[in-house]
Amino acid sequence: MISKAAIAHLQEKLGEKNVYHEKEDLLVLGYDSTPGVHHLPEVVVYPTSTDEVIAAMEIARREGLAVTPRGSGTGLSGGSVPVKGGMVLCLTRMNRIVEVDEENLTATAEAGVVTLDLFNAVAAKGLFYPPDPGSQKISTLGGNVAENAGGLRGLKYGVTRDYVMALKGVLADLSVVSTGGKSVKDVAGYGFKDLLVGSEGTLGIVTEITVKLIPPPQAKRTILAYFGDVRTAGEAVSRIIAAKIIPSTMEIMDRATINCVEDYVKIGLPRHMAALLLIEVDGHPAPVAEEAEAVRRVLEQVGAAEIHVAENAGEAASLAAARRTALSALARVSPTTLLEDATVPRSRLAETFAEIERLADKYRLKVGTFGHAGDGNLHPTVLCDERNEDEMKRAHDFYFELYDQVLAWGGTVSGEHGIGMAKKEYLARQIGEGGVRVMKRIKRSFDPDGIFNPGKIFDEGDSSTRPHVEEGFRVSE
Amino acid sequence: MSASDPKGNFKPQDAPRYDDVLQCMRCGFCLPTCPTYALTGRERSSPRGRVALARAVAEEKLEFTEAVKEEAFFCLDCRACTTACPSGVRAGEVMEICRSQAHAFYPLGKAGKAFREFILRKMLPSPELMETSMLPTRLYQRLGIQWLVRHSKVLKLAPEWMAKAEGMLPDLEKPLRTQLPEVVPARGEKRGRVAFFLGCVMTLMYPGVSRQTVRVLAHQGFDVVTPAQAKCCGAPHLSEGDRETARSLARFNIDLFLSHDVDAIVTDCAGCGAALKEYEEILEEIEDHDRLALFRSKIRDISEFLAEKGLRTEGMRQVKTTVTYHEPCHLCHAQGISSQPREILRRIPGVELREMSESSWCCGSAATWGLKYSEESRQVLERKLGNARQTGAEILVTANPGCQLQLAWGVRETGQKQEVLHLMELLGRAIPD
Repeated sequence: MISKAAIAHLQEKLGEKNVYHEKEDLLVLGYDSTPGVHHLPEVVVYPTSTDEVIAAMEIARREGLAVTPRGSGTGLSGGSVPVKGGMVLCLTRMNRIVEVDEENLTATAEAGVVTLDLFNAVAAKGLFYPPDPGSQKISTLGGNVAENAGGLRGLKYGVTRDYVMALKGVLADLSVVSTGGKSVKDVAGYGFKDLLVGSEGTLGIVTEITVKLIPPPQAKRTILAYFGDVRTAGEAVSRIIAAKIIPSTMEIMDRATINCVEDYVKIGLPRHMAALLLIEVDGHPAPVAEEAEAVRRVLEQVGAAEIHVAENAGEAASLAAARRTALSALARVSPTTLLEDATVPRSRLAETFAEIERLADKYRLKVGTFGHAGDGNLHPTVLCDERNEDEMKRAHDFYFELYDQVLAWGGTVSGEHGIGMAKKEYLARQIGEGGVRVMKRIKRSFDPDGIFNPGKIFDEGDSSTRPHVEEGFRVSE
Repeated sequence: MSASDPKGNFKPQDAPRYDDVLQCMRCGFCLPTCPTYALTGRERSSPRGRVALARAVAEEKLEFTEAVKEEAFFCLDCRACTTACPSGVRAGEVMEICRSQAHAFYPLGKAGKAFREFILRKMLPSPELMETSMLPTRLYQRLGIQWLVRHSKVLKLAPEWMAKAEGMLPDLEKPLRTQLPEVVPARGEKRGRVAFFLGCVMTLMYPGVSRQTVRVLAHQGFDVVTPAQAKCCGAPHLSEGDRETARSLARFNIDLFLSHDVDAIVTDCAGCGAALKEYEEILEEIEDHDRLALFRSKIRDISEFLAEKGLRTEGMRQVKTTVTYHEPCHLCHAQGISSQPREILRRIPGVELREMSESSWCCGSAATWGLKYSEESRQVLERKLGNARQTGAEILVTANPGCQLQLAWGVRETGQKQEVLHLMELLGRAIPD
């Protein structure tokens, strides 16, 4: 429980407006976008510099508070939820873009910079920062780094990790660490930077990030195809890749999702189709035209039911409309939307869809699936009602069994959302007891007292770190 | 109260529906669209945060505290979050309902209550009273007192909102309601018959705009019926949390307008249009559903109506100018009308439309919000004026009187060289006498 004196001290160091401790603020800073998890912090601080991060952590250490970093709270695995209460360290007010280096093709920004703001800032200089998680309009770079966020362009351009060149952050002993740099090559010692990317705030607080930039593609073509059965769609994906074409985007939607979208926006989608693929190829104009044509040929050969190639940007936008609306359409169907990110090797795509369908039947659930087909990264989305305990139990069993199969096929329990508190049990199944033990040892070497984001990634045998437990409100008078 | 719709710490009367707050999946897509979150960076001042507060009250994790009340009124009710929300949560409406809760939990003092009731329950529902009350203001302008007040800067001593309210006053003419004929006949080939819903602010503050709207409708081939007995649409009541009076006004207007045989009920005030379209919901439990649906099916914003019918441009005059368009929140977010006003603008001969960035970002007027939070409102307005200025357009067009008051005041205060017009005023310039 935090003392009044500590709050006063924080206010003195960070300024009154950067420290929240009233119930109404705490209530809204203990959740992210993960359903069913909500814990109350005791205090929330908004440092505006690395020095203020250190100052806040010093007080947290003295008070024995856990420290959970937070960006905009759009995570999908509970990464920023303060399971043990304590201090939430919100980095959204560290939001300066420090520099865009056009000679080295890098950008350096504070952790709280919004992903899309960085994209726009570098685009203004004719450069391109590709990672585009679904929440890019508000997600922060710090959050993207913590969760190693992906996005629609992952297939061709990779994910956040592939762009991080250097990180600056604060460790548990209050020292500032700088790792990586602007050098394209760097093999000096262990790759700390790579350890910190995707560490979900359990190893340190990242305050500044340097990312790699690339020249933007000059041209883009959009193709939409419908399929009578999912197997053909899966085959199309494999054959396009086998034809040595790497589209920038290759998105898939199943029949349930197509119908939800049609219910919602009524744009005349063919309801009887089993799947649609939205494909974009980009690059220099001449190869792009050739690749678009090659994609069309492959689609014809595998027997897509309908193929549409956009002639201009307006048409491209209308072809992409259904995919863009997928989440909105699904989310409207029911009060609770469980969005998972099971990921399999591409070749298993069709089988995964079949398995999802089988399990949805078995557990009597409404499931819509969409996702990044080119990455084998699917979002089987259960549409349910958190008040219905039986349904929630069935949803849990559905994912449990699905992940069993995903792992059997050599897939992963998280393609891009992270483990957080939501998927700890799945991770243990994927990497085994030995794997978890090594991770715990790494955690201890960075954070021997376990103050950073406790209760995430793996269980520490502490009952208070179980998910789906809502804590009471704690703060001293 | 039922298990599926618990009211928790809310008062049972006019409480948010539990389903409506549960629908929020906390994805945060609303955050970058919220003007108050942009100002404060504080989660509780964001749509997601506000809905979470309402949920906490419903789940008895929080009392209906002063802070909840504060957030209910600090919300601009601009509905930008509704447009952005994937799961269909309407945070603005939840906050409107919380405003009504706020009055139940924190009753005003005697004087405050009497004043509020006088405005909301006596004055606004009575067109005659409102017209009389504006008389002194018109005299104030006619007799040159306004000139004196503005030049002597005596209002610098008064509360800030008062100076702003004074500064926002357009040049007032006689209210339109008493001048407009009951029926204005169609010109040219007749295309139908419509009722015109003349809003309070339009008749009192912008009679010139609505005069053009009626002229345009007639020119487009519609008989225009304007029922003089029409009462306030109820938007101010919803916004101030007086849902009871809003409902009685709604019932009156439904009876009145359904007694006319018209193809559509048209308004040129986005605020009125949004409120009229909401009658169906606020009366859901007390009115006949067929009547509500019939009424709802007839309501059109003027731009929506003209775009649907197709603008007849033969014989229109050239209006050689460049314009940029500010989208009223109650048009684009509350009614989903975004392309239609642009379509009209593009069809006016000679007009070049230059898009501003963030055209659907609130101007900071938001009914009385701009007066209550005058400093915050100024910041929101600055962002808007900056975007409008960058287009270099000669005219800043909008389609709602609240926005027009705010924008006109803004350009006057900052010396920005842009004329502020309602879409119908601009269109009116293209229509031959």
